[in-house]
Amino acid sequence: MLRVENLNSGYGKLHVLYDISVECGKKEIVAVLGPNGAGKTTLLNSIFGIADIYSGSIKLDGEEISKLPPHNIARRGIAYVLQMINIFSELSVDENLRISMALSKNTSPEMLDYVYELFPILKERRKQRAGTLSGGERQMLAMSIGLVRNPKLLLLDEPTAGLMPLYVNLITKKISEIRDQKEISIILVEQNVQKALEVADRVYVLVSGQIVFKGLPSELMGEKEIMKLYLGMGD
Amino acid sequence: MAISLTGTFASALAWSSILSLTAIGITLLYRTTRVPNFAHASFVTTGIYASTIVWVFGFHPYLGMPLGFILGGLEAVLLFYTVLEPLRRRKASIFLLMMATLSFDILMYGFLNILADMLQFEFKILSRNIYFAPIDFRIGGFQGVTLVSFVAFLITMVALQLLLYRTNLGIALRACMENPSLAQTLGINVSRMLLLSWFIAGATAGLAGALLPFYQMCNAYTGTYYIAEMFCASIVGGLDYLIGAPIGSFLLGYAKILLLSFLASTVGPDIINYMMIIPLGIMVITLAVLPTGIVSLIMRRRGV
Amino acid sequence: MDPLFEQVMLFATSFAAVYSIYIILTISLNIQRGFAGIPQFGLVFPMAGAAYIIGNLSIRIAMFVLGIKTSLDPIYESSGVIALINPVLSSQPLLSIGLFIIYLIIGAIVGAVLGVIQVAPAVRLRIDYLSITLLAFGEIMNVIARAYRPLIGGEYGVQVPSVFGWAGENTIAVMAATMLVIALMIYAYAEYIGRTPMGRTMKAIRDNEVAAAALGKSLVKYRTIAIVIGSAFCGIAGVLWAFFNGSVMPGQFTRFNFTFIPWLMLFLGGTGNNKGALAGATIFTALDRLITYYKHEFVGILPFDVIWLYQILVGAITAFVLIYRPQGVLPERPYIPKDIRERIKKSIPESS
Repeated sequence: MLRVENLNSGYGKLHVLYDISVECGKKEIVAVLGPNGAGKTTLLNSIFGIADIYSGSIKLDGEEISKLPPHNIARRGIAYVLQMINIFSELSVDENLRISMALSKNTSPEMLDYVYELFPILKERRKQRAGTLSGGERQMLAMSIGLVRNPKLLLLDEPTAGLMPLYVNLITKKISEIRDQKEISIILVEQNVQKALEVADRVYVLVSGQIVFKGLPSELMGEKEIMKLYLGMGD
Repeated sequence: MAISLTGTFASALAWSSILSLTAIGITLLYRTTRVPNFAHASFVTTGIYASTIVWVFGFHPYLGMPLGFILGGLEAVLLFYTVLEPLRRRKASIFLLMMATLSFDILMYGFLNILADMLQFEFKILSRNIYFAPIDFRIGGFQGVTLVSFVAFLITMVALQLLLYRTNLGIALRACMENPSLAQTLGINVSRMLLLSWFIAGATAGLAGALLPFYQMCNAYTGTYYIAEMFCASIVGGLDYLIGAPIGSFLLGYAKILLLSFLASTVGPDIINYMMIIPLGIMVITLAVLPTGIVSLIMRRRGV
Repeated sequence: MDPLFEQVMLFATSFAAVYSIYIILTISLNIQRGFAGIPQFGLVFPMAGAAYIIGNLSIRIAMFVLGIKTSLDPIYESSGVIALINPVLSSQPLLSIGLFIIYLIIGAIVGAVLGVIQVAPAVRLRIDYLSITLLAFGEIMNVIARAYRPLIGGEYGVQVPSVFGWAGENTIAVMAATMLVIALMIYAYAEYIGRTPMGRTMKAIRDNEVAAAALGKSLVKYRTIAIVIGSAFCGIAGVLWAFFNGSVMPGQFTRFNFTFIPWLMLFLGGTGNNKGALAGATIFTALDRLITYYKHEFVGILPFDVIWLYQILVGAITAFVLIYRPQGVLPERPYIPKDIRERIKKSIPESS
């Protein structure tokens, strides 16, 4: 589905990722973990065409996308849910979703219903101005804006950051549901290791721009050194 | 007294309409590119000379309106493409962007002066004294420009409204104004949307400039002379909402003309030379008291 | 005197004069922008204002000091009054110089006051609102000068006394040399400020407002200091320009010459860098003077004034520099006080 091979990228002269290879298949949740500044967001930015790619390849369904501008990458069916400022705060919830749909070619009215079913609270608040939503509701809306476009690949940048435990659990659960219900690949960048490991099918650990682990969540749990040193999970 | 009042009213209507056409561009550019565009002065002056060119070739200068529209738009696109977009890609600060628009303004000013000199040389006109009021038509005792400018203003506002709210292109443009990075994730080519906004801004300014010689005597410096007032109109209305531009323009336009009228009849006609100070004064007061402009005050009251 | 020598001398003095003005203006900008982050797009305001005030007052002051009485109006009939003043001044060099110093002081004060008035309404505002306001004020000066005739006689302007008349045939050369000396003094002072704790504070504020504020440095206070000093320099420049030209007229202070070009010089040199300003000033003074002296050569060839080509060129160069080298041709090197430099040198191990 998405294949990143030997990626070297960064911002201008700042080289962030070194020889990164990552894969994500259909109906898979791939988690990317690591300490702050490791380059997790840069990986997402590289896939989406915002970061500068020095070498390597990024293929979506076999098609090379590393040289495309971001808006073209978005149109190929990649939905990037940014960590912050990820909604149109002046518009209502419903308007946010409708704008997203109006600008997408793959969507259909069912997607709107799907999203409202997935996040009933959004349906409740659909006439409300998006800027007045709580943190957790905003994240749900941000994800919905991406989802409603019926994407092939969903990139999530720390969706639970700064949220209260209720929402952390809810959103994590919903991510899992999305994977079950839709033909979609999900790359999840997370700080919350525990929650990520709960839903991920496979895990990569990124440290200082390099991959130090790739495999199953269960395997990662066994790597005590990595867990302790890089992910802050003591015994 | 009644006659001079309606005459003043008509003059204010014409001026406010023309001013709105410039201010809408400034606010639009500010919302999309986040930079105050000092080159707007040149876009207007280009419009002035568009009318002039049409006139020297024997046509009625009102036909300069479409020419001014197109030339102004193209000029803005040129500025965007050659200077601003490269800067934007390098993540230049707002300060550098402002300097860039100022440089383009200087460059264009030189170019337009050359054009004026050559027109004078070739066609033997007084290119520093463009004034079409004498050949304007009259309607109900008033000058035609009152009607033409107001209609141009209305059509522009309606067209803009239709574009922004009824077309996908317009939706994309509004998304860019709200949140460009989010817009990008939705597949919007932000750079192209900015290009569109620059074209619209330049075109409306060019249109305003094409009308200006019917209203007053113009030369190559006229655009620069009024740039402060254009900014003033946008700021007073409020840079956060497009509707601020026409609101600020009409408020400012009427305030200025009515005040001047009053002062001219009490203090004396010389006061007209100080015209410039009124918008500046209003802008200073507005910035001190209400920096986000009138429209945001209204919006806040409505609980938006 | 050999006519070629005369021509060269004429060019050299005029070059020195314009060069001095540009140095002072660029330094003034440097202080306001480089030290306090103020985008002073209305540099003309304090400069022209000081010149206009001096234009208005200089004759009256000279009359007062010299004890000259006349029924001629000092503003509207300035040339007549000047004809009475200049002969007296030429025979009293010390008095002339004293008057000149008084004029400079007045100019500096007026410049500083105008600068504060100009910036005050918007000093707390964002950079974009600030620049628009400053620019707008700049445009106003010419309007006022033309409209308010009692200031400098409207379009006709006023003459100012010749304070270097005592130098006889070397008057212009002496004037230019003085201007140069003043400019270099200002340059030295600006360099000095940059090295004082106050100057370094101002640079810190420019580089990171929030951090500086967190350290307890008052933004408004330091910005005001920068504006006062910078605008005072502008005022001095305005006075010097008035006396070099021998008169003050509206339209003498164009946005192009006295706001835009200094900014370009600043960019070429790199913000915060005084040395670069000197380099930039050299190039543009040369271009400006060459065009002034040789534009008649172009009259046959081009159907327009060559100065417009100059403006196009300048606009284009600026855009080019902005895009490709915004940090300037000679970027700023942070100033490290001598004792710290010594310590750093000592701590670096000898390379083998």
